[in-house]
Amino acid sequence: MIDLRDIPQWRGGFVSHGDPEDKQLIERGDPCNLLLPYPKLSLRQRSLLSHLLWKEERVATARENRLCAADNVLLGCHRSYRSRPTHGIGKFKYLLPKEVPKKRKEKVQMKEIDAGTEYHYGDVNIQMTSYDLCLVEHFAQYVHRLCNRLSIRVNESYAMPTKTNEVLFMEERGSKMQLDAVLTTHQRVVQIRGLSSTFAPILLEIIQSSQPEGVHLLMKQHTEADFKSRLKSRPELEELLAEMS
Amino acid sequence: MAGHCGARVMAAPLRRRAAGGARWVCGAAAQRPWKLFGAMCLLRLPRITQPLEKMEEEMAALMEQIELEKSHYSDHEIRKLGEEEQLRKMKESSYDEDEALGKTVIMAQDLEEKWEQKFLQFKAAPRITDADKNNDRTSLNRKLDSNLMLLVKQKIGNQELWLLPQVEWQPGETLRSTAERAMATFLGDHIQAKVLGNAPYGIYKYKFPRAIRTENNVGAKVFFFKAFLQSSDLSQAELKADHLWVTKKELGDYLKLEYLKKVNRFLLDL
Repeated sequence: MIDLRDIPQWRGGFVSHGDPEDKQLIERGDPCNLLLPYPKLSLRQRSLLSHLLWKEERVATARENRLCAADNVLLGCHRSYRSRPTHGIGKFKYLLPKEVPKKRKEKVQMKEIDAGTEYHYGDVNIQMTSYDLCLVEHFAQYVHRLCNRLSIRVNESYAMPTKTNEVLFMEERGSKMQLDAVLTTHQRVVQIRGLSSTFAPILLEIIQSSQPEGVHLLMKQHTEADFKSRLKSRPELEELLAEMS
Repeated sequence: MAGHCGARVMAAPLRRRAAGGARWVCGAAAQRPWKLFGAMCLLRLPRITQPLEKMEEEMAALMEQIELEKSHYSDHEIRKLGEEEQLRKMKESSYDEDEALGKTVIMAQDLEEKWEQKFLQFKAAPRITDADKNNDRTSLNRKLDSNLMLLVKQKIGNQELWLLPQVEWQPGETLRSTAERAMATFLGDHIQAKVLGNAPYGIYKYKFPRAIRTENNVGAKVFFFKAFLQSSDLSQAELKADHLWVTKKELGDYLKLEYLKKVNRFLLDL
């Protein structure tokens, strides 16, 4: 039989176990705090009630009764604590067969028809590219916040992997020297959905006017190719698939 | 002026009356009492950023200093410090370490000096161009940090006025194409401009003076469209009339008050 005392939700509200200031006499017969919501009852009434409730089920053992008779009456004296042999009694989840978490396949994208009668654009990508990392990140943040303020829904705001370019100078004066410079190109993308065509040119103008120096701006429709460019290709998997088919 | 249809019966004073809704119906002009015009506001976007204000400059300097003090040494700086240490040790110690140093052909200090020289050779383009100094308003090279708009002198009725280029709407064409035609009229066909959207940005309505007003010709409505100039090369453009490139603040010098009010409503000046 499942012991109700072990199921924590059963307890009505917060019960302070072993609180020395709590002098509320919680009588023996009410281990499940059924009488907690009724603090106004007199002791006699409570004992009567609890007697009625628990007439058939005298679950408390003698040992526990003695503990309950102690001064600080603990409700949890019937709790099976971790050191007790009855710890874990009533658990059953481990008996059920294990559920394998479903492998989530990447949802490609949800495309919307654009320029219909509603004159809504589907997913639009605003791509910002620059050599300067801080600048492009700040600009991406600015665009994101601007869209939030103008209540344009932003699907995602992500970064594309950085591309590193090595610039080699070949000087042919006397000794051939090679000066190296390493340039990193950073790209941030803010994806927007639900842009109305009446508002789109205004937004474009605002973003273009606030474009910082050295940042390339590109606004285009989101395509599957864009989505695939974010994923890494697995050459071994492709080889195996090719071999199989 | 090619492209203009016939004689334009328009009156000079551009008085504003109670604003009505914009009408989109492509009906014959004779049925409606209003004449429709499409005007194009051609913008040249700023090329450089505006100069920082005093507070912004101070803030930027402070932030830079904080970041410099908080940052770690870069590879180049570590290398430079290491080499300085080696040099010092060489001078202090009695035995010479030429063999050890023989490997490092190029020192970090040399690199820095080379870079400094290169930097001194580089000359940045001037922010304030010649056109600014002469206050030559017809050139596109002025005021590189703000939007420039095209204004042309047009004859309306019996008055010559400075306006955004406009052309009368002909039945059967969209207002946007009217505006594009207006642009082509004044700047030639080889203009590379990107028109923003199909919807107009503003409207200016006025009624003709009573002398010219008839039942069928109450007044005129001008619809403004916006376009961005893509290429800054206007050498191919055939400039037929007097034209000016002005910023928003200078518009007040040229446009009439009511017209200016309507135009200012849709101009974004960041």
